[in-house]
Amino acid sequence: MAMIEVERLTKKYRDRTAIDGLSFTIREGAIVGFLGPNGAGKSTTMKILTGFMPATEGKARVAGFDVFEQPLEAKRQIGYLPETPPLYPELTVRGFLKFVAELKAVPRAQVAKEIERCAAATGVTSELDRLNGTLSKGYRQRVGISQALIGNPKLLILDEPTEGLDPRQRNEVLQLIKGLSGKHTVVLSTHILAEVKAICEQVLIIHRGKIVADNTMAAITGGKENGLEEKFIQLTAN
Amino acid sequence: MRTIIAIAKKELTVFLTTPWAWIVFTFFSFVASTFFMSSLTDFRRAHADVAQLSGGWSQVEPEFQFLRNLTDGVVMPTFSAMLMVMMFLVPVLSARLFADERRQKTFELLMTSPVSTTQIVLGKYLGGLLLVSLTVALMLIYPGVLTVFGSSFSAVTSEKTTTLEWPTVLLGFLGLLVWGAAILAIGTFISSLTESVIVAIIVTFCVSLLLLIVRILAPSAGEPLRSILEYASFEAQLRNFMRGVFDLRPLVFFSSLIAAFLVATHRSVESRRWV
Repeated sequence: MAMIEVERLTKKYRDRTAIDGLSFTIREGAIVGFLGPNGAGKSTTMKILTGFMPATEGKARVAGFDVFEQPLEAKRQIGYLPETPPLYPELTVRGFLKFVAELKAVPRAQVAKEIERCAAATGVTSELDRLNGTLSKGYRQRVGISQALIGNPKLLILDEPTEGLDPRQRNEVLQLIKGLSGKHTVVLSTHILAEVKAICEQVLIIHRGKIVADNTMAAITGGKENGLEEKFIQLTAN
Repeated sequence: MRTIIAIAKKELTVFLTTPWAWIVFTFFSFVASTFFMSSLTDFRRAHADVAQLSGGWSQVEPEFQFLRNLTDGVVMPTFSAMLMVMMFLVPVLSARLFADERRQKTFELLMTSPVSTTQIVLGKYLGGLLLVSLTVALMLIYPGVLTVFGSSFSAVTSEKTTTLEWPTVLLGFLGLLVWGAAILAIGTFISSLTESVIVAIIVTFCVSLLLLIVRILAPSAGEPLRSILEYASFEAQLRNFMRGVFDLRPLVFFSSLIAAFLVATHRSVESRRWV
């Protein structure tokens, strides 16, 4: 079954076309790398899929729900980590996760357990009573992912989840995402190819608002060690 | 409903863990205490003067008769004076509601959660309203003080007027609350238009000033403008409440105003998606 179906999706800002007629399908349970140079339209696509902004043209369905026609149903299927982790600096990590659980209508009796579960999965259990505002970049990112996990959504959309982390934290976050495979469908955007190689099964490369590659990892690399790098540079050359 | 309460609670927590609310509380009670003390001084002096008159209060002109008892002579003038102060303090509370979410990029969380725009607007407004109510509740300290210590005024006056009329006081309180709720709605709308808290505060101040100007211009304008300005003037609307007379008209007037601005906020938040 397809988790995400996108047909001829186009977004135009006043005089600029951010994405231009994207069409792709992502099957349930896949971990998909969404690649592209900075400004290629990755974040825009994610913002449309999560219902933050509407598309100018085209269709997008998440778990069978049209994100424009049935926005609330579609949003219930999604856990989303925006480019900047959306943390309120004045709240504690626990208070923040509780707020998110309430927004996502997690049954009252399960809220505390759900917070424990998501905090443990992202390794922030020891920080639960700290204020968001005092967290380091690495922990902010983890709390951001933790927040996306709340309510156990089918689909996780992570916009540059490893941005600004040191190599060790980066590795930890990648392992964390890898551990989510099977339980969730994960779409993550990045411009760091090594990360994609490490965890993704399917790769979508987007350049100047258009899909230039959509295939399995094996097919794109062709079995070569530097296959992904070569393909990426070749496809995004102009 | 649970979502609305969750958002309201979040707003309240954020307000109370940052200096915003405390600055407003402090400033509000400082100004209120100043007005209260000066009203008390006037009251005391008036009663001392009247004690010299042979006919007592029957000789006093009608426009000064309100000084005769503590409710109309002290509490209500203090409440009335605070109407103006609220024009400049409530914007400080309303400005963060939406502008701060934009600035801190937390808006994306709200907008991608399975929550409707109506719930977001109502939740935020409710959070702001609770805080405005807390602020206005500080005004109950003064009638409280008079209830406990008011009897000491029997030393300066022969009048049996040292007990407060609580129904009147509570109507005045309601007037303040309604007025605060109205400025809050205007401020919430303005906050939804910008990413900058400072811009939101300044613009809401300017709108408050316009309201003030309407009030000042009303008496000098010619008909029919005069009647219109008089109707739109907050002080005229609240006059009955501040006299302790219950009046349905201002309640209708201000609830329409609040509803209109909340609908406008809803539209403004929705339209932000389309930019």
